[in-house]
Amino acid sequence: MTQNETNWPALLRATDSAVQAAAVRELRDVLQAGLRVALNGRSDVSEAHLEDFAQESLLRVLERLEQFQRRSRFTTWAQAIALNVAFTELRRKRWQDVSLDALLADGERLSEPAMMADDVLGGDEERTRLVATLRHAIETDLTPKQRAAILGELREMPFDQIVELLGTSRSAAYKMLHDARRALKQRLQEAGITGADIQNAF
Amino acid sequence: MKTGDQRLTGDQVGTIVKMLGLTTDREFNCGECLQHVGEYAERQLSNKPVSDVIASVEQHLALCPECREEYEALRKILEAGQ
Repeated sequence: MTQNETNWPALLRATDSAVQAAAVRELRDVLQAGLRVALNGRSDVSEAHLEDFAQESLLRVLERLEQFQRRSRFTTWAQAIALNVAFTELRRKRWQDVSLDALLADGERLSEPAMMADDVLGGDEERTRLVATLRHAIETDLTPKQRAAILGELREMPFDQIVELLGTSRSAAYKMLHDARRALKQRLQEAGITGADIQNAF
Repeated sequence: MKTGDQRLTGDQVGTIVKMLGLTTDREFNCGECLQHVGEYAERQLSNKPVSDVIASVEQHLALCPECREEYEALRKILEAGQ
């Protein structure tokens, strides 16, 4: 039986254990079906993965039931959590061998001309001036960890992996990156490069 | 293991610059985005207007490729269920 969307939280908290168990089973099936649709065609995802992701997601949803604010359908909210669980795990597997030392070492080179070479900028004068200012700001205004985190993001390293390598929390890592972007943007603006210049440069 | 090729491509340099262009003083982080992305996806699919809070989801999705990947997967699920 498909639950009425408004009933899900109450059923998942039901004191009648049979009712609660049935709702948990049904939610698990809903999450697994959604994950099957979302991850269809990926060679790195098997049926066993889908079962594991659904089970892990179910636990995460039950832990966070209090956070559901009824701003969307319950199953939409739960599917978003399930996708976060699944993609986080898939990204982690791909990047598990990267070390903090390697990331920091590469991050240290981020401001070098060789890393952001002029020949990839298409010979555009404004773009070249902007990138030269950016290189200088990266070198003078950012910490080594901020440089490493930005480089990790650019290379599509999973955010959770960056968090783990930096030995911090997700919110602290996000703030570190946000502060870095704000500092770089401010430096560009101080050099007379406007928001519109930045938007239109690439 | 190294983190990748040393040299950044023109696209990657462009990505840094674009991210700076989108940067504002107050932004959603990934956790805040996750909390609201369901409402955002449902509104997008039904062409309903977005509130200021939900506009913050849109701004975060423009900056965060991981949350954008998850949002696109969520849309796929919602579209399949329509």
